[in-house]
Amino acid sequence: MDKKIILPLSKLDLHKKAKVSHIKTEDKAMLQRIIAIGALPNIEITLIQRFPSFVFQIGKSQFAVDKELASCIYVKAV
Amino acid sequence: MIKRDYKGPIENSIEMAIEKIVNLLQYDYYLSPRSIAILLLQEDEGIRNLVKEKDAAGFSEIEQIVNNLKTYYKNPISYELAIERQNEVNDILKKAVRFAKDSISFRERLSRLLMNPVLGIPVFLLVSYFGLYKFVGQFGAGTVVDFIETNIFDKYITPFAENMVARFIPWQFLHELFIGEYGLITMAFRYAFAIILPITAFFFLFFSLIEDSGYLPRIAMLIDRTFKKIGLSGRAVIPMVLGFGCATMATMVTRILPTKRERIIATLLLALAVPCSAQLGVIMALLQHNPMALFIWAGVIGFIFLLVGYLTSKILPGDRPSFYMEIPPLRMPSLSNVIVKTYVRVKWYFKEIMPIFLWAGVLIWLGRLAKIFDFLVDILKGPLRAIGLPAEAAKAFLFGFFRRDYGAAGLYDLSAHGKLDGVQLVVSCVALTLFLPCIAQFLMNIKERGWKIGIGISVFVLFFSFSVAYVLNIVLKTLGVIL
Repeated sequence: MDKKIILPLSKLDLHKKAKVSHIKTEDKAMLQRIIAIGALPNIEITLIQRFPSFVFQIGKSQFAVDKELASCIYVKAV
Repeated sequence: MIKRDYKGPIENSIEMAIEKIVNLLQYDYYLSPRSIAILLLQEDEGIRNLVKEKDAAGFSEIEQIVNNLKTYYKNPISYELAIERQNEVNDILKKAVRFAKDSISFRERLSRLLMNPVLGIPVFLLVSYFGLYKFVGQFGAGTVVDFIETNIFDKYITPFAENMVARFIPWQFLHELFIGEYGLITMAFRYAFAIILPITAFFFLFFSLIEDSGYLPRIAMLIDRTFKKIGLSGRAVIPMVLGFGCATMATMVTRILPTKRERIIATLLLALAVPCSAQLGVIMALLQHNPMALFIWAGVIGFIFLLVGYLTSKILPGDRPSFYMEIPPLRMPSLSNVIVKTYVRVKWYFKEIMPIFLWAGVLIWLGRLAKIFDFLVDILKGPLRAIGLPAEAAKAFLFGFFRRDYGAAGLYDLSAHGKLDGVQLVVSCVALTLFLPCIAQFLMNIKERGWKIGIGISVFVLFFSFSVAYVLNIVLKTLGVIL
């Protein structure tokens, strides 16, 4: 069993390497935004900043998103 | 493109669904049938409508295949496909690319400083001060405009036009359509080329620079939280910054906002509480010797901006806006890029704005011919007295609607003749800033938002600006403020 906890990206510690575990949203438009960003399962993701907006890094790209979007991306620390 | 690995029984796989749809497609869509099939599975609205029209015969069967496939997947098919694609990309990358070890570069450090709220906001204020106020406002809208007006228009073009009109048009009433204080050549044309052209050129130059450096998304992320409170997202920072250049152009740029609700809120705020560079210039000149008055003016306008945004976002139905933006790496802007962009934008802007200016010119001509202006000036005198201003200010307000600089300049004359005290000055500056946008913006509001909303916004702004000025006048008088 994998004991690592799964938590929303908005709660992840800064600069800690993590992987996307799943996306949780009922809102199709929101899912479409997350697909466009590419925050898909198994992708490595690092949170850089949480105020005033959430900034994270995927590969060589950085994205700024609001709390609602950051709360839909669930991650597990690596 | 899509990997052929799949988890359920073969007849329900995505790959099988694609194959079935491909066989049903008859029409030539220019895209490969496979791409069309994949877009259909992703429930792309545009493609769905197109196929419904062009492949009407097979469409119901296609819909059945899509709906059937959906029942076998927990997530939307678009999501499943995105994951498949991502896996494929990762496999290719693994074989083909090796990444250097990450270290935090100078560029990245600078980027984080700009996004840090404690440092980023003062930097943003400095960039606005030097870029917008000094470069676009004082140099572009001041020095350069003055030069073109006095050295080119007043010296050559206006006398030439007057000469030609006098020679070739015998009817006196038609003269005024072309020349004189509000003529098409002496006003509309001059306004477009001597005032708007240099201001927008300098503004777009500044805007292209901050855009190409990658700075804009960093401002957007700093401001998103605040903008959410007024029903906008950080993305709206682009039209709002543009509004300080020319609110008419900014209204056009609200097209980049994703929802109708955001576009309406942004249009209203631009019409009401974002002073354009022409207004800013004269207001600064009026209030520069009176820092307290300037402070009150800025405070009231800022407060109204937030208050009206907040209330509108509470009243208007629709979803809260969502914010997501890529933060590109900071780059040194390339000069040729910036010049080409500025040129293309100024050209595009001119094509949109020129007809509006000419229409405004014709409207003014008709209005003056029918004596509507004298009538409107009389109507305006009442509300102006109510907010504690002399009746002479009525002309400044009315003509301010047609020529913003003229309106503010009218106030300047009154103030220079000692007809306005400090309180009256602040009250009139607040009223003029909030008051109806210029006629070009009024027409643009209608063009972009439609008749109902465009006129609705203008009527609201008209009444609201006087109400705020009225209350401000009473408050300042009651508190015994002497400015």
